[in-house]
Amino acid sequence: MTLMQKRLLILLIVAVIAFVLGRLAVRAVMNLLLGGTLFGGNFL
Amino acid sequence: MSKAADNTIKKKKVKTVPIWMGILVFLVAFGAGAASKFAITPKWTKDYSVQWSDELGTLKTDLPYGEGEANKFDLYLPKDNTKEAYGLAVYLHAGGFTSGDKIGDREMLSWLCSKGYVAAGINYTLRTETNNASVLTQSDEIKAAIPQVIAAAREAGYPIDKMTIAGGSAGHALAMIYAYRDAGDAPVPVVFTFGGVGPSCFYKEDWDNYGLDQNTEESDLAAAGLFSAMLGEMIPVEEIKDGSYIQRMKPISAAAYITPDAPPTVVAYGTHDRVQPFKASLRLKAALEENHVDFKYIEFPHSGHGLQNDDALSRQWMAAIEEYLDKYMPVK
Repeated sequence: MTLMQKRLLILLIVAVIAFVLGRLAVRAVMNLLLGGTLFGGNFL
Repeated sequence: MSKAADNTIKKKKVKTVPIWMGILVFLVAFGAGAASKFAITPKWTKDYSVQWSDELGTLKTDLPYGEGEANKFDLYLPKDNTKEAYGLAVYLHAGGFTSGDKIGDREMLSWLCSKGYVAAGINYTLRTETNNASVLTQSDEIKAAIPQVIAAAREAGYPIDKMTIAGGSAGHALAMIYAYRDAGDAPVPVVFTFGGVGPSCFYKEDWDNYGLDQNTEESDLAAAGLFSAMLGEMIPVEEIKDGSYIQRMKPISAAAYITPDAPPTVVAYGTHDRVQPFKASLRLKAALEENHVDFKYIEFPHSGHGLQNDDALSRQWMAAIEEYLDKYMPVK
């Protein structure tokens, strides 16, 4: 694996984690206002 | 520093991703993830969300039904005006009895119209700090509006022979009051009612989402204040303590009017609702069961007032609504 590939892989992992956290954050805020669980039901 | 150590540091620097790039990617992806929550909706929702266009029919807006500024309704008339009779589908807007507008339900009303029903969205006087509007006055406004909605449809060439009434949250509460309390006075049979997250009764022990179940002086005062505002009449704290408030609240307690003649019902509630009490919906369910009403009660176990975390159940709920519409108010 080249250096560039390693860098891109790290950035991809960071992006995926951030994307999931972004969705979870919205769900958490909505749950705070309306009620609901952080996990279960809809995927993410 | 030795040459060897210097080389090691340089090597390490080269191999790591610049921190600013990592932060930038994180922020962009985080924002995209958050936006995707709103932007991406399940494919099936498109089946129930129709954009209004003149190809669907005729839309008459802000037709008056009373003296109040808010006493107006929109009428969605389907393209085909050749039928002998039509089913009327009324949908009442949400907003905690203090906000909202019929225009917010345009997609739902357009969907109902696209199915061949005459659809109507009705506004009602919202409670403010300066007026005495209440759930009771709002329910009475809806009761006064229905004959005029039917008359307006008839005048436009769409005679109505049956109706369904529905809504979301506050609108659902008002729809249930009409369906169970006022249907006997309706100009046409009320054959079905549906909706979600509407409060159907006012037992203080159910209202744990606001702490009214605590049985303390403070919680009883809070219950008296909230229930008085909803009823539009002063309920003394003594009535909260001795339980006589239940009878006082009956005019706006839809579940209290359920009889074996109640119209078929489809409802949905979120287990973790923070806005209206989930426990009250269990009383509604029990009343429907005891009276052998044809109903579907769909509980969203991961959701609150927005029914926002259980898309698969949302799909079942909409399918049930469509099934009951086809069964009890088929388009001929």
